[in-house]
Amino acid sequence: MKQTRREFLKANVAAATAATVGIPLTQVQAAAGAEAEKDWQWDKGVCRFCGTGCGIMVATKDGKIMATKGDPDAPVNRGLNCIKGYFNAKIMYGKDRLTQPLLRMTNGKFDKKGKFQPVSWERAFDEMEKHAKSALKELGPHGVAIFGSGQYTVHEGYASAKFMKAGLRSNNIDPNARHCMASAVAAFIQTFGIDEPAGNYDDIEYTDTAVLWGANMTEMHPILWARIADRRLAHDKMRIVNLTTLKNMPSELADMTIVFKPSTDLAIQNYIAREIVTRDVVDHDYVKKHCVFATGPYDIGYGMRGTSKYANPAEKDTQAKELKVKLDKYEAIGQRRKEGEVVEQKNRGKAGKHWMISFEDFKKGVEPYTLDYVAELAKGDVDEPIEEFKKKLKQLADYYCDKNRKIVSYWTMGFNQHQRGTWVNEQCYMNHLLMGKQCKPGNGAFSLTGQPSACGTAREVGTFAHRLPADLVVFKKKHRDFSEKIWKLPENTLNPKVGSHIVKIMRDLEDGKIKFAWVQVNNPFQATANANHWIKAAREMDNFIVCSDGYPGISAKVADLILPAAMILEKWGAYGNAERRTQVWRQQVAPPGEAMGDTWQVLEFSKRFKLKEVWGEQKVPGLKAKGFEDGKLPSVLEAAKKMGYDPEQTLYEVLFATPENKKKYPWPADKSVTKGHANHIAEKLGDGWFPEHALFEEYASFGRGHAHDLDKFERYYDDDVRGLRWPVVNGKETLWRFNAKYDPYVKNGDFEYYGKALKALPSGDLDKITNKEKTKLTGKAKIFFRPYAAPVEQPDKNYPFWLVTGRVLEHWHSGTMTRRVPELNRAVPAALVAMNPEDAKRFGLQDNDLVEVASRRGKIRARVETRGRNHPAKGVIYVPWFDEGVFINKVTLDATCPISKETDYKKCAVKVTKV
Amino acid sequence: MNLSGIVVAVFPGKVDACVERLNALPGVEVHNVDHEKNRIVVVQEAKMIADEVEGLKAIKALPDVTFAEMVYHYFAEDEQFIEAIPEDLDAMTGLPQQQVCVPEYLQD
Repeated sequence: MKQTRREFLKANVAAATAATVGIPLTQVQAAAGAEAEKDWQWDKGVCRFCGTGCGIMVATKDGKIMATKGDPDAPVNRGLNCIKGYFNAKIMYGKDRLTQPLLRMTNGKFDKKGKFQPVSWERAFDEMEKHAKSALKELGPHGVAIFGSGQYTVHEGYASAKFMKAGLRSNNIDPNARHCMASAVAAFIQTFGIDEPAGNYDDIEYTDTAVLWGANMTEMHPILWARIADRRLAHDKMRIVNLTTLKNMPSELADMTIVFKPSTDLAIQNYIAREIVTRDVVDHDYVKKHCVFATGPYDIGYGMRGTSKYANPAEKDTQAKELKVKLDKYEAIGQRRKEGEVVEQKNRGKAGKHWMISFEDFKKGVEPYTLDYVAELAKGDVDEPIEEFKKKLKQLADYYCDKNRKIVSYWTMGFNQHQRGTWVNEQCYMNHLLMGKQCKPGNGAFSLTGQPSACGTAREVGTFAHRLPADLVVFKKKHRDFSEKIWKLPENTLNPKVGSHIVKIMRDLEDGKIKFAWVQVNNPFQATANANHWIKAAREMDNFIVCSDGYPGISAKVADLILPAAMILEKWGAYGNAERRTQVWRQQVAPPGEAMGDTWQVLEFSKRFKLKEVWGEQKVPGLKAKGFEDGKLPSVLEAAKKMGYDPEQTLYEVLFATPENKKKYPWPADKSVTKGHANHIAEKLGDGWFPEHALFEEYASFGRGHAHDLDKFERYYDDDVRGLRWPVVNGKETLWRFNAKYDPYVKNGDFEYYGKALKALPSGDLDKITNKEKTKLTGKAKIFFRPYAAPVEQPDKNYPFWLVTGRVLEHWHSGTMTRRVPELNRAVPAALVAMNPEDAKRFGLQDNDLVEVASRRGKIRARVETRGRNHPAKGVIYVPWFDEGVFINKVTLDATCPISKETDYKKCAVKVTKV
Repeated sequence: MNLSGIVVAVFPGKVDACVERLNALPGVEVHNVDHEKNRIVVVQEAKMIADEVEGLKAIKALPDVTFAEMVYHYFAEDEQFIEAIPEDLDAMTGLPQQQVCVPEYLQD
């Protein structure tokens, strides 16, 4: 049979697709496949986009990418890819890809008001060095900062964190992951004493119920959604519940959609807890053996500035609530207080404080959360009959209360970007722990993540202002000692003062407390709420902003220096996904022009600092830690000399290219690992070591033996490995943590919550500590009582709508990458304002009308859509944030969860007017 | 020419009906049908990749489709792909610095 070239190619595409998802091939297809791909080299890779961690296969020939496909051997996605994954190779080839450093200049000299002009790397580093050193001299180590990322590879995050913390002695590095899962982290630490989920994606194939709490999985985690859809069809008992503030795509497959008012998820969860308790279906044996009850203060503020000094006049009324709040009717009931009572927010500085309570007190706490009260408070669609809504809440409680029903709760930004984000995460564990439905196949509360290495890098490596690798923290002497030992630093090199979180770095720029900031692998000037303040600070204050990126976004535009970065398949890398799976890839193609990997940029910059410049005595405003009473970091130069260091040595020599690293991890490396792939970073450094290998092994030494074990670097590159879920002990990954059947770290009993953080507590009642003496809670998890609290800003006469922001399927975050793929851009060309059709009618608006959306803080213009994929109830609008042209973060409020410091992008009040 | 392989999952008992609906879509050809797994493999051809993304959305919107996702993307003869590589990209390397273009919108 004669085939045209086109038919032949199509047969090949069909063959590859069918083979990838395990569908039998026809004979013609099998032959076509072999012929078409004969000169290609296939290699495994990881998707660059969300936190799911799908495997992709990449085919190259002569240094070019020929094809990509879902990896059939990847247990996460089993050959499937969503639209974003499909474009992993395309994002590297946009028209405005950055290929040269660009510096703002006038007449050949740096000028903050100048125009961007190309410069050499040498010139770029000269300028950075000058400004960084001047900031360090004037303000000390906390005068400089790095905006880090949940999209860092493991190596990039580790290099940056080590450079800042061990080198410059600054804890001012904080990732954009602060905006996406800090609340999940705080709840993990408070509840379990250790970060990251107990379960994994396999739960989907074991469970009977998937409950989505503020997670639009159809659009944001489509591959996991495909697995849930499969389970729904294959398993009769399977039910799906979608809890959301607006009806969205998951509702099409869900058995039940519960539309609730913003923040009332706090009340709904307490209603479920109340049902568990009153129906007496608590797994008493599990709770007694493995849990304690706890609570904390309610008067913790909203994470805004405590002063109105920087607020515009319109912002002042909302800002004032940071210090004093008048309780509304529902808060009063839920917190057992009086309506109208003015509560001073006394625990703003100690929001995370908590103490043990009795089961009797816990019951008293949830007692007000009756069906009548919660239904009246929480019903989010004014047109839904209350009885209908009550029926749904009861059905939801039935699912949780049924001892014979397995249940998994999933959440993302709906919980995490929440003024009580830590509380609402903890409440989810509350219900799972009460029922003993946690850490078992098909049973558990599972925090999904939005970024490819929010877990693997931001959290595990510890690129946060308070963290060190493997769950260690800077404010504990023991943790610093341990880190100083691994990093071969003199004692007291590390700074005990927690640095600024990402929103505070912005505020510090506005205050003039930070004068040098480096943006790495993220776009904070688009991503941070209440953006008008921060853009003004960057452009008008005396400071120097560096932005490393593949494409110019808003952060590049407001920067003083732009550095061109290598992108995903142009470098060696490793990511860790939401189920603790660490996955790696090799460099597939060379970066374009002079673009270079972020790891190289940090290593190269570290050559500019000598020990004598950074390890002498340093002032740190606000430093009060034990042993540092004079507010200074001591000089460690003498101690360094005793360790064999020379003060003239650079940070590059002392922290990175050490004699040991050069000897143990040579480049060119063993062929079994490289398979002939290049490494542009090792080659450009040119001093014979393999930075990615060295950094990985050093980092892994923090977690091995401490329940964060990673396997050897080489193992992850084996052909038959598709990532491994840590802890990896004796080569074996761990599927369900804290469960003796699966987790080698469980030493006592069938379940053990062995995490060590915050495991000694005072005790008290629902309102206060009554006994300061601490009780040890070794091996136990905490069941928190957390009350309902209203959002700090709510719709009123002047600003009658709730504004909810989020993502859309086709775009990744701020869109700097996906917007370069012309195809994706055309699918959703500009962000639209999704609105209820009746609201639109009431305001005289039609689809496609241009409107202004304004809050107390700023305004944007966009077009109205009433028949799109999101269907807000009356009184709610939804605007995605990927579009630079619709800069919605000028409108949003920078209130955060006071415990996690994660911004709430989902709740502020706006008005909408026709333009 | 731009080709992508898409796997379509459908409700049990609806495979044949879906095959018909899929074949009726422009640029879409059904290549493999698995009645046991309720899966259909289609190849979509589109001039512009934009049309292809729209095409995938159309497939997802068909009745009885539970999910549809792209699995394979062929690049080699994709004219759009080559067009998407800026003409000046290769030229940028090694040229005197003054000649490198700086996107105009960076300057506003």
